[in-house]
Amino acid sequence: MESIKILRGIRPSYNRNLILTRLGYKRGVTGIGEDFGQLLDSTVKRAEDHCSLVLAYRVVGISENDGGTLRLEDGTVLSGKALSEMLSQSQKAVLMASTAGPRIMEEIRTLMDAGRASEAVIMDAAASEIADAGLDFLMEYIGAYLRRQGKALTKHRFSPGYGDFGIEQQAHFARLLEIEKLGIRMTDTCMLVPEKSVLAIAGIVDIKMD
Amino acid sequence: MTRTEFRKYFDKGLVILDGATGTQLFKIGMPADACPEKWAVENPDALIAVQKSYVECGTDILYTFSMGGNVIKLAEYGLQPQTRELNRKLAELARQAVAGNALVAGDISSCGILLEPYGEITFEQSVESYKEQIRGLLEGGVDLFVIETMMDIQETRAALIAIRELCDLPVMVTMTYEDGMRTLMGTDPVTALVTLQSLGADAVGCNCSCGPAEMVDIIRAMKPYARVPLVVKPNAGKPRLVNGKTVFNMDADTFCSYAQALVDAGANALGGCCGTSPEYIKKLSAIAGKLIAQKPADATCAMASSGRRTVFIRRDQPLTVIGERLNPTGKKFLREALVQNDMDKVAQLAREQMDAGADLLDVNAGVPGLDEKKTLTDMVRAVMDAVPLPLCLDSSNPEALEAALRIYPGRAIINSVSGEKVKMERILPLAAKYGAMFILLPIDDGGVPETAEERIKIIQKVYETARSYGFSRKDILVDGVVMTVAAGGHAAGETLRVLEWCNNNGFNTVIGLSNVSFGLPARENINAAFLAMAVANGLTSAIMNPNSQQLMDIKRASDVLKARDLNAGEYIRHYSAQEAKGGQGQPAKNMPTVFDAVLNGMSGEIAGAVLADLDKGLSPKEIIDNSLIPAIRKVGELYEEKKYFLPQLIKGAEAMEKAMEVLTPYLDKEAGSGIGRKGTIVMATVKGDIHDIGKNIVALLLRNYGFEVIDLGKDVPADRIIQATKDNNADIIGLSALMTTTMTEMPKVAAMAADAGIKARIMVGGAVLDNEYAESFGAYYSKDAYSAVKLAESLIQGKD
Repeated sequence: MESIKILRGIRPSYNRNLILTRLGYKRGVTGIGEDFGQLLDSTVKRAEDHCSLVLAYRVVGISENDGGTLRLEDGTVLSGKALSEMLSQSQKAVLMASTAGPRIMEEIRTLMDAGRASEAVIMDAAASEIADAGLDFLMEYIGAYLRRQGKALTKHRFSPGYGDFGIEQQAHFARLLEIEKLGIRMTDTCMLVPEKSVLAIAGIVDIKMD
Repeated sequence: MTRTEFRKYFDKGLVILDGATGTQLFKIGMPADACPEKWAVENPDALIAVQKSYVECGTDILYTFSMGGNVIKLAEYGLQPQTRELNRKLAELARQAVAGNALVAGDISSCGILLEPYGEITFEQSVESYKEQIRGLLEGGVDLFVIETMMDIQETRAALIAIRELCDLPVMVTMTYEDGMRTLMGTDPVTALVTLQSLGADAVGCNCSCGPAEMVDIIRAMKPYARVPLVVKPNAGKPRLVNGKTVFNMDADTFCSYAQALVDAGANALGGCCGTSPEYIKKLSAIAGKLIAQKPADATCAMASSGRRTVFIRRDQPLTVIGERLNPTGKKFLREALVQNDMDKVAQLAREQMDAGADLLDVNAGVPGLDEKKTLTDMVRAVMDAVPLPLCLDSSNPEALEAALRIYPGRAIINSVSGEKVKMERILPLAAKYGAMFILLPIDDGGVPETAEERIKIIQKVYETARSYGFSRKDILVDGVVMTVAAGGHAAGETLRVLEWCNNNGFNTVIGLSNVSFGLPARENINAAFLAMAVANGLTSAIMNPNSQQLMDIKRASDVLKARDLNAGEYIRHYSAQEAKGGQGQPAKNMPTVFDAVLNGMSGEIAGAVLADLDKGLSPKEIIDNSLIPAIRKVGELYEEKKYFLPQLIKGAEAMEKAMEVLTPYLDKEAGSGIGRKGTIVMATVKGDIHDIGKNIVALLLRNYGFEVIDLGKDVPADRIIQATKDNNADIIGLSALMTTTMTEMPKVAAMAADAGIKARIMVGGAVLDNEYAESFGAYYSKDAYSAVKLAESLIQGKD
């Protein structure tokens, strides 16, 4: 297996509209006044300032894929039909981690305790989006290097908890990515702390020439 | 080839580069897992065949097959000890392939690991890694270098500096841009161009990532500021997913059909990247003679850059504001922060100045007793992380300046180079090496000249020396030298005369504004008046406090009066926005009604509205029944209709809570009034689950709708929930869980409640739950916070 590569302090671009979507905004229906728009903007900006993204990735070989389970080069077995399907063209995959760090969670709690729940939920949604944007960044970053090797990443990625890819398999990702070095820990119930942390896998595929 | 010869090489017209080599080698059997450089050296015939075909197809400049040949990248294959040898051989193979019919460019690219502060490689490690590769390529006889497919401007600088520290061969540099015309690390094409051409790149451009269509806009953006040729190597379109396979699918004819547009946009050299083949280059070469490339021209303005932004400084545009607050001189709090290495404070000051309108920031680390080199580099890193603004590096210490210039990811301005011998000898060469602009301070070893004429003589002398290093007027900001007017005399007048002379002689200017008022009371007045006078005399930039509203007001007004803010566009935009925010000229807002304050989530205003109603003689019960409850219900309805989204629902609840805080003392006097207790709910996020924000929101809303809520927090064991239910004689147990691994706690709580004979209903919520799961253990499910309120009300009513 390749070594784990860690990236810190990245500020990925993200789609602000997705924060609104997370908060239940519906285009053309939900109305946001000017005052509220300002609160939204300033809170999202504060969320950006409080997120300290740490990203990591590791390329792993896939030694078997029977359509329902995958065996990685180190013997780790992952199960899930949709995951197997996504990785059906891949001999290798990339495990990825993204965490927004602990400061944003402290700030959300502080806001909640201070009775500023509306700001807390905006910040919570922004932090989720920024952590996800960290994975988007990683996929573009890795994809750019793969391109020169005639390879690309699968369009989609999978995280434990999606569909039939059970959350308990998060433990494999946590171990392979050595998440404690990123400041993340996993609870007995497979939750990640800080909460705005996400692990994922994408496949490496060949780019064909027409 | 010399750099001058390289420049002349483009006089012949459009230069043709090669296409993808790796793609071709993969096709003929290079294994995917092999080290490409090593494999090519071991299979020289295969490489030479591909490279030869490119030359035969019309390539003028052939790249060596060495893009991954730096020490760090080769270490992935355990080949770092062979770095120099592999690169030498690859250069020799390229020489063999071109057989004198094309130039050979030593190809360098990313090491694949980001540099500090993002990754684990230091700037100097990166420089050293490249140097070993460069030595090998030089030994192999390359004519020039190309740094290509770069995503990070800092790593690109490291490669360019490494080449410049070893040789004076020409260097082409191309970065790769994503959608939105920025590199993945956030650098736009103009910023990359400004940074790299000033650092010594002889051609700049873009390659990989996208197809030719997308590169037209990138080259068009660069062209007005490019004093070097522009280089383009697109992919054969963007990789697309076709029938489950990822493919490059732009054919050679389509690819070449963009050549005219690329040349019209400003391209001087064309080639191909991923997915292209000799066929593409052959067709490109065939049409090259018909395409007339534009010659590079010098830009017409001064340009400073960070890693993410370029600032243009020119006399016909608004005054450039250089924030002065990151200078510890006379600022005790900053001095203390620097002594404690509190870079959060530095970052905060940077953000405050940017938000107030600064275009650049002056950074000074001069604190007696502190290691200036370390402090200045720490400050630069902190500021660069916090804001995208370019920096003025303010130091007279050459070691500190060089350390900062080395890690600064753009084109900095050095503050300053004077006519003093040591400055001319030590700092001017640094500015030249790192491509920095500089502030020309017209003082010399004789001190500060009193008259404008004496200062002008020094300006001329320093400028002549600077020209010998390749600087032009556009690389310089002349400091008018502001002395305090408190000492009497005509200090301000002499400065204004210097500014006027510079304005008439094509120099941009700068002043350290606040010096003028040193020692006087009410300094802001003097500063503001002098700023207006300086702008009238042609001042182009000022080191000043952007957080002074008076100064910024004067600056904006002066820009309009000197016709530097065309049609007062900036002025109108700024002050219209201020007025919209309720700033100057805006009448005070009317007090909202209590109903409207809840409806619009006006937590700050609602207390006044409630007190006004009480003053009018309304009873608390009337306020609650006729205003607060209808308002919060209306908020809920709007949320259900999706006219409000979650933060607005909560904001309404917060306003209601504030209103109740005001009313509570009055309610005590008026027994029997109030929202009325609808019931008691014990709330908890179940054992093993730590995501409690949803539960907290539900609790807040339930309180607003008249429920007594006992919130037990998160990760709460079942027995504690049962005990709290008993202790409080609760009507409802509310449980939340986010994950499949924790939702299984819910049936356990239900079972324990049944065993304990508890009659309370159980309502549940959380991302992974649904109605079916809730019903499986006799609970009730709600999909969101407002549904939870309605569910609780219906459960209570059902119970009643």
